[in-house]
Amino acid sequence: MTPPRAADPAAPAVVPEATRDPGSFRDPSGFVFWRDGRPYRQIQSRFATEWDAFAGSPLERRLIERGRLLPYEPAPLELAQGAGAHAVIAPERIDFVSYPYEWTFGELKDAALLTLDAELDALADGWTLRDASAFNVQFRDGRPVLIDSLSFEPHEEGVPWVAYRQFCEHFLAPLALMARVDVRFGNLLRTEIDGIPLDLAARLLPSRTRLNFGLLSHVHLHARSQRRHAANEDEGVAARGARIARSRLIGLIGNLRSTVKGLDWTPAGTEWSDYADHTSYGDAATASKARLVEAFVREVAGSRAWDLGANTGRYSRIAADAGKRVLAFDIDPAAAEQHYRALKGAGRTDILPLVQDVANPSPGLGWAGRERRSLLERADPDVILALALVHHLAISRNVPLPMLLGLFADLAPWAVVEFVPREDPMVRRLLAARRDVFDDYTIDGFRAAAAGRFEIAREEPIAESPRTLFLLRRR
Amino acid sequence: MPELAYIDPGSGSLIIQGAIASIVAVVVFFRGQIARLIPGRRQDEESTTTSTSSSTASSVDDAAKGG
Repeated sequence: MTPPRAADPAAPAVVPEATRDPGSFRDPSGFVFWRDGRPYRQIQSRFATEWDAFAGSPLERRLIERGRLLPYEPAPLELAQGAGAHAVIAPERIDFVSYPYEWTFGELKDAALLTLDAELDALADGWTLRDASAFNVQFRDGRPVLIDSLSFEPHEEGVPWVAYRQFCEHFLAPLALMARVDVRFGNLLRTEIDGIPLDLAARLLPSRTRLNFGLLSHVHLHARSQRRHAANEDEGVAARGARIARSRLIGLIGNLRSTVKGLDWTPAGTEWSDYADHTSYGDAATASKARLVEAFVREVAGSRAWDLGANTGRYSRIAADAGKRVLAFDIDPAAAEQHYRALKGAGRTDILPLVQDVANPSPGLGWAGRERRSLLERADPDVILALALVHHLAISRNVPLPMLLGLFADLAPWAVVEFVPREDPMVRRLLAARRDVFDDYTIDGFRAAAAGRFEIAREEPIAESPRTLFLLRRR
Repeated sequence: MPELAYIDPGSGSLIIQGAIASIVAVVVFFRGQIARLIPGRRQDEESTTTSTSSSTASSVDDAAKGG
């Protein structure tokens, strides 16, 4: 392999360099590459027969019409990277690539149902999904969609579902743990990027989950079967001979679907979900803050906003109404879930809630730490909102203000930041049971910290409250 | 096994599918028969063995609680 040449500014414009997506290497049938800032998917010759049968098929049309599969345009074969190319397609661009460990319970559940619905569509037409990875699902306009057009292959009558194990590990096990043990088990997907091993899920789930036929079968007995038939050559040969009639397989997927559908979790009782109702604000202060946020957001060009500490999304909606597409991050899975349900109920497509701890954002994961990109690597907002957030990070998490504002400046050229001073009841509550070691936590300290990376474009007091709203522009 | 499978389907995961699917088929069949015997009861489109067994599970729980 030749090393890439250094760009020569005097050289004439050359064909833009294409880069292979570092997260797309597991399936030899094809891969994703990027060129000119847009994604392409290359189909290799080994998958030519399957691809030619699928592309343009009634199944593909139906999946796309139903919003289950990402649409694409054919692309010129000359764009192909390396040898063995059969075709190149240009899939519709996804605004923001999110990962399963960032989704709310409802988002993971909807992604699971989408996967099963696609498998049922496929089986009805004599096709099947060759994989059921949660990373094959992305959120587009607030709804999940399968992004990998290469996931479908003709189903041979009698053959079991190759992706059954992957589905159970990527979707069913985490959903069961979140619904039946603790929603924070969603975090386990960060370490187990190939899905939660079923023996682990079976050990963690309470024994009463054995009374649910679906969980008994697809998790507990499934885990036992895996243990009993642990890889050795004879077992492998026997497994290759396993047979199941397609009608039975459809029944199995249907049961898996109702098992997933039956897993429910009510977002209540976690840290912040009722926070919006317990703020120290009166109506006048809330209205004043809403007006200022809207005005500040409207002063910023560009369409992408990240609302950090979005809670259930009051200000995300204000930013969205002001024309931004919003990613609404919150550390609390209950608040994010409530937000997701409200948006889904209202049919809103311009806001996506995600679970994220600003003090410990998603790292790079997987092969070479680059297979799943870190949050900061994916950051491209035009503006961030940090409302009623700074005191939580500065005091509860001991993050010095200059570091805090440094992160904001790394994320976006503009920031709308609310400063909540020490005399605010919320800050007094945070300091109630601990020693106040935050000498620099003053509005002057905030201005000084901001000055390191930003200029203060606007500074307005929030009416009938001790708080101040800043609009900061990166230097 | 399909030629182009690239993930490890897992021996135990392939083998167990037939067994689970058979139970599902039997339960669905008998529920259909029972539903036919109960006049005026319409079969719910979404319901499958899971809802049956989870209601069994909850009645077990209720019994345990003395409810």
